[in-house]
Amino acid sequence: MRKTLEALNALEVEGVIRRYAIGGAAAAVFYMEPFLTYDLDVFVSLPADQGGIVSLAPIYQAARKLGFGEEGEHIIVEGVPVQFLPAYNALLKEALDQAREISYEVTVTRVFRPEHLMAIMLQTGRDKDRQRLEAFRRQATWDAAYFDGILIRHGLLERWMEWIR
Amino acid sequence: MDGMDTLNDELKRILAAKEARRLRLAAESYPAKIRKVVRLQSMVAPILRARGRRVRVWSIE
Repeated sequence: MRKTLEALNALEVEGVIRRYAIGGAAAAVFYMEPFLTYDLDVFVSLPADQGGIVSLAPIYQAARKLGFGEEGEHIIVEGVPVQFLPAYNALLKEALDQAREISYEVTVTRVFRPEHLMAIMLQTGRDKDRQRLEAFRRQATWDAAYFDGILIRHGLLERWMEWIR
Repeated sequence: MDGMDTLNDELKRILAAKEARRLRLAAESYPAKIRKVVRLQSMVAPILRARGRRVRVWSIE
């Protein structure tokens, strides 16, 4: 895992990706009890090409140069299947901008803040997100005022009220 | 009625202990939690593969 994170940091240093942060289940595990997941979701902002088009192709090209294999939608980065996802909406862009820097052993990386993970679970809205959110809000330490701001900015207040009723 | 009260107390104690364990696990370091995730992956992978799902256990060392 440390080598995986070092490889992600190298992609950022080399400018293949502008910024990255761990999201999804692997980020939730940072704040709550461990649970089963097989994916490492890595959200990225990418430099636009000359035509202003954002593409994941440079990541795949860089991964091939480094000898990382591909399996379906994953790139196997140092033994871990990584799914690179562009921050495709305003909530994800904000989560990526405001992600927390943390240390994994001696390697620095970033994970989404707990309040953004909760908002993303709300926005995604599947049954498993609802169940995870219920456990997450009991186990994680999170800032209610900060979370309220996210709910208001991204139009999620009504769903939150419905889910916690 | 006494029996029911005892059962309720016992259940409350068990549920509280489970919640306390979850909170203890949540407080562990990230690398320790990732190691547990990988153990879970190893345990569940044979079942998922038998059902035809392709999964990869993380290689983290």
